[in-house]
Amino acid sequence: MDIDDDDFFTNLDQSGRVANNNAFQERLRQAPRDDDGAEILDAPPFMLEEEEETPLQQLIRHWMNERHSPDILPNEGELLAGLLDHIRSQSETVQLLRTDPSSSEEEHFRIMLVQTEVERVKFIVRSYLRTRLFKIEKFARYIMTNPEVQQRLSESEVEHARRFARLTDQHFYHSVLQSLPETQQTLDDQPPFVPSMVTEPDKARAVFVLARQDCPPVRLPDGSALDMRKGHISLTLYSVVEQLIARGEVELV
Amino acid sequence: MALPQSLRTSVTPLELELIASEHLVEIVPLITMEKTAFISGAYGPLRPPAKCRIPLWMATNLKLKKKCHIVAPEWLSVDFLQERLTRETSRPEFSKLPFRFAEIAKVILDVASDDVQNADKIKSLLKDLREARQAKSRDGLQKLDHSELSLPNLCSMEINEIRPFFIQSMGILTQLFREPSAE
Repeated sequence: MDIDDDDFFTNLDQSGRVANNNAFQERLRQAPRDDDGAEILDAPPFMLEEEEETPLQQLIRHWMNERHSPDILPNEGELLAGLLDHIRSQSETVQLLRTDPSSSEEEHFRIMLVQTEVERVKFIVRSYLRTRLFKIEKFARYIMTNPEVQQRLSESEVEHARRFARLTDQHFYHSVLQSLPETQQTLDDQPPFVPSMVTEPDKARAVFVLARQDCPPVRLPDGSALDMRKGHISLTLYSVVEQLIARGEVELV
Repeated sequence: MALPQSLRTSVTPLELELIASEHLVEIVPLITMEKTAFISGAYGPLRPPAKCRIPLWMATNLKLKKKCHIVAPEWLSVDFLQERLTRETSRPEFSKLPFRFAEIAKVILDVASDDVQNADKIKSLLKDLREARQAKSRDGLQKLDHSELSLPNLCSMEINEIRPFFIQSMGILTQLFREPSAE
């Protein structure tokens, strides 16, 4: 989980570099993309929503969901892998073009823009992963006692949670718990009137939701129903909209 | 820690600006560029003086190097904003504006105020609009209860502004309400 390492993105795959400048220049020019279909329409009215979400827009949405939600959301592994591949291929192209002394001024501009975008996307990927890392460390013990929550994490995230939970447990035991009477040495006992010692996500926290489409009604804590139309913005409890977020019908803003 | 304290409860205006910069704007390029593949899509070709739609961050980048003029979006005009301001001050509800209007307007006015007609007037209109809307969202606090508050047409930056206070208030109301049933 060394996301601060500058080589994080490039180290993933060092093999298979082809030194054929022309082919790569051609590739940049011809713009073949694995997720095409994002052609730019002529001047849509400003209120119009974007029709098809690009992978980057999806990641931005999941990033914001993750930032605002009190609970840890399902890991978007596939989406992330696709974008990381894309970052890598863009950086490789840039590398090759930069070493080519014959590139024109126009070429330099494109290189600069492509690089700028790569940095922007890297920032979002890092922030997304850091947010998850923060929640994993905060809820490490809770995650390890809940197989259902573990399914939302990637393998390496579960592994990190396991190691982190073990380390803190050991630390608590050596620093305090071992000198307590045996009945009080555990962390997960639940004496009455005392809050649990295992940090759990506070699902009763309020969140701002924006409906991405018309949603089926959901039940509010006061018993009434909330019926959200597309574009509706509401401040409500996370537990109320949990299912809608999981189905992608709403996003957190 | 993985996430700095200041980023745990909310997002920063700069992060919202980053997101808003993915929006497409129209530019009049001053350089030629072939169609190029980016992660967010393929943009171009740029052929002066034909207009082209590219993401705001790219437009900002080119503008700062004096390689393009940014065409202000329809809503960033005195007429439109004046009309919205009149509506904002005469009616109780929020008037409809693009969800990320504050961020986009700020970026454009920061880097390309020479491309916007009446930039100063627009700035003061935006400020008035912001104040009128801010007063409304403060009023909205009265209607806050423990279950739900609808905020139609509120914009991203405004939500971010009221977020900490509203979330905490709702948390307290939820707690107050939960106590009796927990008995």
